[in-house]
Amino acid sequence: MVEKEEIMKIAILSKLFVADDEIEKLTEDMSRIISFADTINNAADEGTDFDNINNLSNVLREDEVVPSYDREKILKNAKDSDEGCFLVKNIMK
Amino acid sequence: MKYELVAGFETHVELSTNTKIFCSCTTQFGGEPNTHCCPICIGLPGTLPKLNKRVVEYAIRAGLATNCEIAEISKMDRKNYCYPDLPKAYQISQYDMPLCNHGYIELSNGRKIRILRIHIEEDAGKLVHSRGSTMVDYNRGGVPLIEIVSEPDIRSVDEAREYVEKLQLIMRYIGVSDCKMQEGSMRCDVNISVRPVGSEKLGTRTEIKNMNSINFIAKAMEYEFNRQVDLIESGEKVIQETLRYDDVTNTTSGMRGKEDANDYRYFRDPDLVTINVPRERVEEIKASLPELPSQKLDRYVEELGLPEKDAALLVKYRKVAEYFEKAIEGTKTPKTAANFIIGQIFRAVENESEKENFDIKVKAESLNELIKLIDSGKVKMNLAKSTLDKMLETGKNVSELISESDMAGLDENTFNDLCRQAVEVNPKAVADYKNGKEKAIKSIVGFVMKNSRGKADAVAAEEKIKEIILNS
Repeated sequence: MVEKEEIMKIAILSKLFVADDEIEKLTEDMSRIISFADTINNAADEGTDFDNINNLSNVLREDEVVPSYDREKILKNAKDSDEGCFLVKNIMK
Repeated sequence: MKYELVAGFETHVELSTNTKIFCSCTTQFGGEPNTHCCPICIGLPGTLPKLNKRVVEYAIRAGLATNCEIAEISKMDRKNYCYPDLPKAYQISQYDMPLCNHGYIELSNGRKIRILRIHIEEDAGKLVHSRGSTMVDYNRGGVPLIEIVSEPDIRSVDEAREYVEKLQLIMRYIGVSDCKMQEGSMRCDVNISVRPVGSEKLGTRTEIKNMNSINFIAKAMEYEFNRQVDLIESGEKVIQETLRYDDVTNTTSGMRGKEDANDYRYFRDPDLVTINVPRERVEEIKASLPELPSQKLDRYVEELGLPEKDAALLVKYRKVAEYFEKAIEGTKTPKTAANFIIGQIFRAVENESEKENFDIKVKAESLNELIKLIDSGKVKMNLAKSTLDKMLETGKNVSELISESDMAGLDENTFNDLCRQAVEVNPKAVADYKNGKEKAIKSIVGFVMKNSRGKADAVAAEEKIKEIILNS
């Protein structure tokens, strides 16, 4: 089971705003997602290479430059920015 | 008690591809902050990285040039750690299946420094700490790197220096990186421990992180060696830790932060598929490698008959070696070209980075022309030397500086007259010579050379002068 407090904590860590009336539904959804993930424990996995389940190899790109994004777009979701840089709390002690 | 240094290197080399390792943003150095970025390299959710083909090729080249085995099957893993220079909170790297394994680099003293592995990974962004906050620029984030991990086989600072220089030179020769330490395209972490000479057991090691100059590496290693020996001698213990070298105070100090937490929770990156390198492809890449510096050195010594010291100076810079080879095409005396380059030309080139680029006024073709004139006897060495100086100064061709009449040399009468004159105006030198001072003859010859503007043959002049003195 997932608790409401955990949903709030995850929301804060993800920097997402969750309205009060959404918490109930999100808690239920999250519980269902987690129990769904548990069903994998019952799957027959003998001989399955989960590391390379698609059995693909060498999906490669040519080394050709494509123009980058406008800086405005790159910084759009940043919590804070300055002089074209992402700004984070000082990490030097 | 005598102690021995034991060191191993982890060297990061930035690959000179056009684009980043998992997206098509440019890898160009510099640029306004965050202008070489896209959703993939700033780690937005829902993006899908796709491996750059050339990164794999370059890493294989690097592996082959350092005698590694190339893995047939390889994969990418996530190395998890939380730090703002890493937007995804993990670095895509290779953990237990690196692309290259078990190589070595041979040093001039014959010792082999084994290479444990070479793997590919992405670089992190750049952090600037200012005014109570940290500014992040992701232009460098996702630039492809190879990490070359050596075994702890290095036993002295000199060996360390040679190892790094050799690695740098090889990477430049095979064209996978410019290895500019000052720009950070080559950086070294050094693991150091000490042990009593003769002991087989390894001591406790410390790691000095992120050094970007060969001189700093040497100084830091010396400092750290002495520090560890002092600790042991005074009965204390070396603590296994990560250190930072401060080039201003020339000391090492403990680092705090991301390196403390060593649990990277590696797991396979599910977004990236297996890398499969067919054996034929390895052979093709092997065949496409240029002559490596060590092979070139051997050839210059054995086939061209150059002294090893000269050969080493020419081989030290890829472009100088290329220049030299063009300059000797179709000439008889490689040593002449070598002397010109190492002597006069190097004197005109100011510093290391200029030697690196070697974009000088005298084109290789022009030097070649001059050497052919010397070979054919049309231009004497003295004239050649002064001409080369003028060429270096003005960038003019040989034909613009030496006229046909210069090349014609002196006619016999003029030559004989000059020699007689030289003897007449240098009575003191003549007397000295007669008294057994062999060298005195040189100043008399000098007179001839000067007054013929280098056209006279110095050897012939010396003989003639001796003859005149003998008969006088």
